[in-house]
Amino acid sequence: MLNETSQLIARQFWSSTFRSGVMYPILSLWLLMVAYAAYSGWESYTTHNHIRSHYQQTARESWENNPDKHPHRMAHYGSFAFRLKHPLSMFDFGLESFTGNALFLEAHKQNSVNFSEASFSTGLLRFGEISLAMLLQVILPLIIFFLGFSAVAAEREHETLRMILSQGVSWREVLVGKSLGLTALALLFFLPVVLVTFLLLLFSEGDILATTDGWLRFLGIIISYALFLVITSAITVLISAASKTSKAALVKLLAVWLFLVILLPRTTQALGGYVYPAPSRVEFDASTEEELIQIGDSHNPDDPHFNALKDSLLSVHQVSSVDQLPFNYSGFVMREGERISAEIYNRHLRALHHTYQQQNRFTQLTALINPYVAIKTVSMVLSGTDFTSYRDFQHQAETYRYQLAQTMNELQMELISNRAPAPGEAPYVISRTYWSEFPDFAYEFAPLSTVIRGGGWSWAVLIIWGVVSVRLLSYWAKRVKAV
Amino acid sequence: MYQILTKQFIRSRSTVIVTLLILTLGIVSVLMGEQFLNKQQRAIDEAAHYQQEHIQQNAQWHADDLGLLLYYLRFTFINSFDPLTALSVGQRDVNSSIQRITIRGLEGQKYDTDLHNPTNLQVGNLDLGFVIIYLFPLLIIAFTYDLLSEEKEGGTWRLVSSQANSPLLYLGYKLSVRVGLVYAVWFLLWVFALLKLPLSLDTNALVFIGLSGLYLAFWLALCAWVVSWQRSSSFNALSLLSVWVVLAVLLPASLNSLLANLYPVPEALSTMVEQRDGYHEKWDVEKEVTMNGFFAEYPQYQKYPLPEEEFSWLWYYAMVHLGDAESRQSSEAMREKIRQREQASRIAAWLIPPLHIQLQFNDLAQSSLDNYLSFLDGTEEFHEKMRLYFYPKIFEEASVGKENWESFTPEYFAEAPEVNWGLALAPLLLFTVGLFLFAILNARKLKAFE
Repeated sequence: MLNETSQLIARQFWSSTFRSGVMYPILSLWLLMVAYAAYSGWESYTTHNHIRSHYQQTARESWENNPDKHPHRMAHYGSFAFRLKHPLSMFDFGLESFTGNALFLEAHKQNSVNFSEASFSTGLLRFGEISLAMLLQVILPLIIFFLGFSAVAAEREHETLRMILSQGVSWREVLVGKSLGLTALALLFFLPVVLVTFLLLLFSEGDILATTDGWLRFLGIIISYALFLVITSAITVLISAASKTSKAALVKLLAVWLFLVILLPRTTQALGGYVYPAPSRVEFDASTEEELIQIGDSHNPDDPHFNALKDSLLSVHQVSSVDQLPFNYSGFVMREGERISAEIYNRHLRALHHTYQQQNRFTQLTALINPYVAIKTVSMVLSGTDFTSYRDFQHQAETYRYQLAQTMNELQMELISNRAPAPGEAPYVISRTYWSEFPDFAYEFAPLSTVIRGGGWSWAVLIIWGVVSVRLLSYWAKRVKAV
Repeated sequence: MYQILTKQFIRSRSTVIVTLLILTLGIVSVLMGEQFLNKQQRAIDEAAHYQQEHIQQNAQWHADDLGLLLYYLRFTFINSFDPLTALSVGQRDVNSSIQRITIRGLEGQKYDTDLHNPTNLQVGNLDLGFVIIYLFPLLIIAFTYDLLSEEKEGGTWRLVSSQANSPLLYLGYKLSVRVGLVYAVWFLLWVFALLKLPLSLDTNALVFIGLSGLYLAFWLALCAWVVSWQRSSSFNALSLLSVWVVLAVLLPASLNSLLANLYPVPEALSTMVEQRDGYHEKWDVEKEVTMNGFFAEYPQYQKYPLPEEEFSWLWYYAMVHLGDAESRQSSEAMREKIRQREQASRIAAWLIPPLHIQLQFNDLAQSSLDNYLSFLDGTEEFHEKMRLYFYPKIFEEASVGKENWESFTPEYFAEAPEVNWGLALAPLLLFTVGLFLFAILNARKLKAFE
């Protein structure tokens, strides 16, 4: 496919673009934007991770400094989960700004993840965010269109196309050559982004370049975006070849950009929300609580489930009242209550996330006609800033919360007397050494292997697009006319 | 002449397609807005219904202990919305309009978010505001970029300018046909919105409509100015789209990351930690210290002696209140940071029309960050009101049955936005008039034969 003639045409396209003088101003502007995006990414990553690990530590210190106490006091004292940013979020912010960052973990209650960047936003966030990934997904295609819209159409207008073809050069060679030249130019714009991302990763504290996972992500990003740029360049040349004039080619390309980048994603996402409505927090809480009351609510003094449990406990241990049991009874009740409520909550949360996935499905489907959606998804997955990665954080935090509550309940069952303290007697406590024995919350980024499925479809689509757009070049070569 | 120009323009396939596209999206956006209103209303109804159920249930479970009952009871406070929210959803989807709070520590409750699909938030709402701010400029660009150049490139300019009395007037006619169609689409969408949504034509709505109309005029002026340079169609299309990308995407987005980095909000996290520590450490200090702190703020409760028992509700509610009091400083510092962000973006918005319009729309629709901050203030007052109502009853161990629980229905917060006509319109008016003047100055140099 890449014979000498194509290569010659590619080289010629490259040098004539440089000669035209437009390259230097565009390239300088581009470098400026890349520098700003890199700075923003770096700043946001380091500042937030510093703040979050600082408060994670502060909260831990006060946890450990608690004196001897009743374990249930500590279950309410609780802990925090502050979400750390993945180092690759410097490259692609993904959903970072729209997901919560801070979660209070306590017994009996699953709190909401609060303080997303969006909740502090003045409305500016609605216009999007500048990140390296955004520049590659949104701005670079525009630059490619600009550099390539006249690639074939101008030759046709100036009637040089006929000359080239009459010299024995095939249509295919022209199209492949021009696409190759345009891709090379696109890669020239991509190169500084790769370099700067490498530097950001190299100097960041996350040190992910020391891990295979990190390298796989980084290489995945390079390959996917390179593929995206090949696709964009090929489409540009195709549209240029199919248009009578360069003006027509430009207008078509700009329309394509607007439709695919601005219009389509918003419309399909709105459609998804319309077809699959998700519950509000009130509805969610109400339905969870309703089910809890049905199955067994430990806060209800006459709950049938807990009454039955009590009776069976008494008969198994052959005692007449709960204070004769060999363990602390209220600790036991709370352990059972926590188990039931956590189980119900998790089930409802899974259903909610399923609804969200259904909402997103419309947009995901359009990846078939919209490579922008495909690259956006793939990029977020690889950067650890997609919804699956966020859910993983939520999951880890909830697991930790559950362990904290149950550990305190078990300590109470084991170490706290069943008999209520007499008036004037000091309240029961256990040693503070138990506090530091319980480990701190440590968030671990989900490995690529567990989240990669989230982008599976988009990966496939991106590859299909790559193959199809290259095939189209050959197919088109048989159909287009020189004049 | 007018008729011919109109016919010629309207018959073009691209005109029809683009117009229909915008009309469809505009209609969809109004329907989306309607759905948003319905969703809000449903949540409010649900909250009202749920509140009664929840109170009855708990009043039955904890019939002999008012202090314990109020440990559990959650009261609903709602940020009422204007139907205009449907047209500019703003921050309303991110920040919850419904607070359900207990009379315990407020700082641990008031920032609780609603549930939302982050992908929806990232992609953004398809509301009429979006159609006006983003899409109408594109419609205007598509209609006008080759106003003059298509004649020159198509070779008809020579003919036109020799026949028409004044080539400038001819261009004026052509432009006015396009202006007419743009405003016709705009008008139709407003008619549809007014019919479909429970909007009343009050001052806010009129300013909203007026602003949107003026914003279109700004883009028309900008296009006229670029056309008056008399460059090629490709050049015009590219420069206008670049201006659009810079004004509607790059500048606001850069500004957003700049502000986020200039004003990080660590206070949000310190508030959380301080609130927890402030309350919980009270369990381990002398009760007297806690009570003194509490009585200093509320001397009216000094008459209640602290019960002899190890635990009493008087002591408990004093502890949680001090937890709030001790984190208040961080909480206020956080508010200050957010205000700084708000202020900075408002100043910058003077120079970036799409941003200015977005902020104004959100103000009018009561969906701005500012509105949310006021709602938080309102929540604080509501919380205090409920506390002060129940404190004496709890401390006196009043009977649960004597309280008329049915009277506790959700309460509403309402804040009328302050409309400042001058500030809202001035920057746009200035830009629009300036650009039109430049365009006309350039056009007067227009020569018929080139």
